[in-house]
Amino acid sequence: MSTTETPAGVPSFELDRNALRHLADAQINVELDTGDMILNLGPQHPATHGTLRLVVRLDGERVLAADPVIGYMHRGYEKLTEVRTYPQITTLINRIDWLSSFANEVPFINAAEKLMGIEAPPRATYIRTILTELSRISTFILFLGEMGLQVGALTPAFYGFRDREHVLNLIEGATGGRFHPNFNRIGGLKDDLPWGWVSETRSVMKMMLDSCDQFEDLVAGNEIFHARTKGIGVIPGDIGTAYGVSGSNIRASGVDWDLRRDGEPYLAYPDLDFKVWTHADGDSFARYWVRLQETRESVRMVLQLLDGLPSGPVMAKVPRIIKVPEGEAWVETENPLGQMGYYVVSKGATGPFRCKIRSASFSNVSILPWLLRGVYVPDVVTILASLYFILGDIDR
Amino acid sequence: MPKPLTWLLNYSRKYSLWMFQWGLACCAIEMAAALASPRYDMMRLGVIPFPASPRQADLVVISGTVTDKMAPAIKRLYEQMPDPKYVISMGSCSNCGGPYWDSYSVTKGVDQIIPVDIYIPGCPPRPEALLQGIVMLQEQIQNEGIGNDQMRQRWRGEPVVIDGPHSAPVELTAKPDSEPAVPVA
Amino acid sequence: MPDETPEPSDAEAPAAGDAPAPAEAEPEPEPEPEPDPRHVELLARLDATLGDAVIEHADALGNLVVRIRNDAWGRFAEVAKSDLECDYLSFVSGIDWAPAPKEGGDDGGSDTSSPVQPTEMTFGAAGSGGRFQVFAHVQSTTKLWGLTVKVDVDEADPAVASWVSVYPGADWHERETWEMYGVRFDGHPSLRHLYLPAEFEGHPLRKDFPLLARVVKPWPGLVDVEAMPEEASASEPTSAEDATEEPAAVTEGGGA
Repeated sequence: MSTTETPAGVPSFELDRNALRHLADAQINVELDTGDMILNLGPQHPATHGTLRLVVRLDGERVLAADPVIGYMHRGYEKLTEVRTYPQITTLINRIDWLSSFANEVPFINAAEKLMGIEAPPRATYIRTILTELSRISTFILFLGEMGLQVGALTPAFYGFRDREHVLNLIEGATGGRFHPNFNRIGGLKDDLPWGWVSETRSVMKMMLDSCDQFEDLVAGNEIFHARTKGIGVIPGDIGTAYGVSGSNIRASGVDWDLRRDGEPYLAYPDLDFKVWTHADGDSFARYWVRLQETRESVRMVLQLLDGLPSGPVMAKVPRIIKVPEGEAWVETENPLGQMGYYVVSKGATGPFRCKIRSASFSNVSILPWLLRGVYVPDVVTILASLYFILGDIDR
Repeated sequence: MPKPLTWLLNYSRKYSLWMFQWGLACCAIEMAAALASPRYDMMRLGVIPFPASPRQADLVVISGTVTDKMAPAIKRLYEQMPDPKYVISMGSCSNCGGPYWDSYSVTKGVDQIIPVDIYIPGCPPRPEALLQGIVMLQEQIQNEGIGNDQMRQRWRGEPVVIDGPHSAPVELTAKPDSEPAVPVA
Repeated sequence: MPDETPEPSDAEAPAAGDAPAPAEAEPEPEPEPEPDPRHVELLARLDATLGDAVIEHADALGNLVVRIRNDAWGRFAEVAKSDLECDYLSFVSGIDWAPAPKEGGDDGGSDTSSPVQPTEMTFGAAGSGGRFQVFAHVQSTTKLWGLTVKVDVDEADPAVASWVSVYPGADWHERETWEMYGVRFDGHPSLRHLYLPAEFEGHPLRKDFPLLARVVKPWPGLVDVEAMPEEASASEPTSAEDATEEPAAVTEGGGA
């Protein structure tokens, strides 16, 4: 110690009691005085579904604060819509939510048709509804498989991709493109359905029901999956709506709100008889379960639509060069990811003056700073997977 | 290096490409379909998509829109890959900016940042197109070093000079009352 | 809305919740369609709580648009959450009503790809006090109604109150609006860039922010497109391609 005499030739040094405190305390098992760690997930990361960057401050394995950094896929959609004509925009907006591309076109085309006062013929409306529900099924089947991948199971992802191929075959048969079909036109559709498509769809829908049963057994019935997802990432209903969370996410928190039933009537949904699924828990398992049930419900809706498919033209009479009269229109639809809306301001030109795109994932992801407080790092991945966002939908 | 050894080296390299998982946008879904779906299985070509780290990969497929915010990350990850490395640009967004060519935040093509070996056109290109692109890359790998200096350039990380029939610029001014640019033989 | 065919040239045309019918060349004006009862209720509640802060309101094809005073923006959020029972925030964004500059300069006339917008500044539903507006849409998941609300912001120093304390989801929407238009939100915890890199200069969605790629070079697909039949016959072709190209079979359905 410092009071003893140091022998000659040995350098003396003062022992710093403060520096030694950590060593002493470590032997007695007292809380260590550690600092926070900043962990950067992304923008390239297998877990983040695309180019989302999540900067989290950790205390050990617990998240203290999370800050999502978005914009790595920002392509400037709202500015691009101001310099494009309506048919060009239809091509472009397919790529906002790139998994369920057909569903992105529908609200925009509906807004343009509302402004022009044109109504698509009933057959076109029905086919649009069928294709929207098919894109919902293809998105959700992929989700059911890929959420298993995010919690650590490799097999469900392969099943998801394999089953999705059947639906993509159908969409390709009708529209020519596996996704990004660009099939809607103002006033109707580009083309009618090919021969044999209806019977092919019926058999694929039966396959999809079997697939859903398989996912229910394989993933939703798995006790490891339960342990990983039950109680993780609970979103209370009122906080979710204040953040703007929509779609299956908010229905899994008990809010009974589905724009196909509750919003302004659009497409053929008023003619259909379907159930809106909700779950009371609001955790990641609830979100998985709601999407599973909604996939089955969409299959039933497609079968109803096929039974009631009217005959007739698929395109209304529209002028050659589309000039949309002055006005403003707001159309919102229940897309697979949530509520998608377009606020189109037109001044009578061939393109919109301002087109505000309200995308679902933007609001769904904005709840992450609130939701990720106090969660463990592996649960961050589970929560990201269960919210199911698409980067193009966030960043536009 | 003697010819049979070069041939054997290239043969073994081309059939064991380790691909770095780099999916940006919609083309990533087609790439994932090419990898994960049993229909377009890419692993039968020898392309193993397992490394999630660039330090163990020799092929990267840039699929999707490259934004100005993302560009530094792409450059950094490309530089982390060890030589010899190959880049495939998949889809029109990474080829040339694609449908967002006039956007204020999109890089008009990933070849502004990193050198690209194969361009796959399409929006999105079908998984079969990606498979064809990989087959083309494999042919290119097979022909490296035999008769040209590409192998040495690649293993040292130098810019690769492609010597081929299309290396001279072709004039593409098709005036309607003149001869077509490419003679129809 | 039920689809009813309007009676041809009948003076007493029934108007039970009819959308204004397309032009049927009726000599008498159509009687006013009955307003949506939800809109009536919303306006009544707004009148009771905000009073004269509501400047104007309009019905834009079934959507209620209300314009309020700038100083009432923060109060509106509380009113919407409590009195109007609108628990769901859809979006907050901005509009720039200035006319778009002509793309490509004065001699960009041959670029038929970009739509030509009117050159006077006109405003939309519920009017506007100036160039910039901030607008938002709130909805109720229980009452199943919603409304769009607009507010004018000063052109020189655009600022308005922040909604973050009432609707926490407005955090990101306001950051985006600031980034795209330059509108300041007083009370927002950290107004920083959301989409764009930190060193980006300018506010992209303003009409005077040019898309440089279009200014430098017209749309690359132009050389393959022959002029529309109306334009080709109306004006003489401006370039050699238009003159000597054989008009190919034009497809129906409104090509790009």
